[in-house]
Amino acid sequence: MESTEELQFSDDEEEVTAETVLKTLQSAWQNERLSPEILPHQNDMVECMLGQIQHMERNINKLSKTDLRTSIHKMEISRIKFIICNYLKTRLNKIEKYCIPILNQERQRIETDTNYLTPSEYKYAQEYVLNMENHMKNVVLNKMPGNMQVFEMNKMAEHPNLQTHVFLKANETINGVVLEDLTGEDEEIDLEEGSQHILQYKPIADLLKNGKVTLL
Amino acid sequence: MEPYEIEFIGENRIISITPNFTHDKIYLICGEFGPFRAGLPVNVPLWLAIMLKQKQKCHVIPPDWMDVEVLENIKEEEKRSRFFTKMPNEHYMVEAKLILGSAAEDVPNAPEIKTIIKDIWDIRMSKLRTSMDALMKTGGGYGRLDHLTMMEINSVKPLLPAAMDNLLRMQMKTKKTAPSLNLNSSTFSQSGSSQNT
Repeated sequence: MESTEELQFSDDEEEVTAETVLKTLQSAWQNERLSPEILPHQNDMVECMLGQIQHMERNINKLSKTDLRTSIHKMEISRIKFIICNYLKTRLNKIEKYCIPILNQERQRIETDTNYLTPSEYKYAQEYVLNMENHMKNVVLNKMPGNMQVFEMNKMAEHPNLQTHVFLKANETINGVVLEDLTGEDEEIDLEEGSQHILQYKPIADLLKNGKVTLL
Repeated sequence: MEPYEIEFIGENRIISITPNFTHDKIYLICGEFGPFRAGLPVNVPLWLAIMLKQKQKCHVIPPDWMDVEVLENIKEEEKRSRFFTKMPNEHYMVEAKLILGSAAEDVPNAPEIKTIIKDIWDIRMSKLRTSMDALMKTGGGYGRLDHLTMMEINSVKPLLPAAMDNLLRMQMKTKKTAPSLNLNSSTFSQSGSSQNT
């Protein structure tokens, strides 16, 4: 299993080690678990890591069962699979919960090519909403008087609470994060590198998406 | 996040072990480790150390800070300081729990160390509760929490963020109703004054 160290990304010719991919994936998982809204997908990282796992599993089969490496590699693979599964499940949970606003925003994002969902997640969200609509119609709406049969999509929508408070750590020094104050006096704070804070999610949402802060 | 997930993250930390077997470098996805030479210290991730320990294939070398004297100093410092002091590592609780749980015989004075770490945790948690209380009383929507470890932060979830969310919601409600209240009271006083005249 010597050849697992470096892999090439064909599109930008940049060499990325499996280790870096794993680290990126782990922080993506952590942030996704802790953020109220869905974050931009990391499909490249997931695909890449799944490829690594497959490669590794093939190699393990070549080893004898008593080889110490077998159990170590199996353990590591289980750990990585846990991260990937949990990451994808967390995203699916959010997609199901906030399907309507996510789909509405995603349609605009696809136009500018800044989509947050992977194509299969997008398909899943669309089918989920469609199924929900059909279910509502079959169970309730079709049995209602004619003027009450309309399915009002936006009234069904549940929105993530972007004003919720989150814990975060600054990965680099960021100056002038504006905290909205209800009295109208906005407060500006600086996040020093490595410092930790609790504050509203909304002002730091973009910083999180740019990788400048990590949620804790 | 669940405590076991924090533990999972903490398990990626690197610690030293002395293996009792010899093996070439092992190329894992998270990096390469080894070569393993019986009796010579080598660095591995915590999860691997625990796994090897369970197979009785290594001794864990306790981290530098896992020492009665060092920990006593940290404890005193923590007691003295009004703020949270910097811990020797950001997953000290996870590391202590796992190493003392599965490799206690490799740590000199393990029972004492366990007690001191528990004391440090208790001091910090009580400090954390006091500062949460202060934060809520000032009605703040922002707090700085340097040097708190992930496990400590996790232990006040969902209480603290939820309390701050609710506080914000109440402030928004009062702000929304405040202008109309003023309006009502002013019309009331106007009508009152008109009655007087």
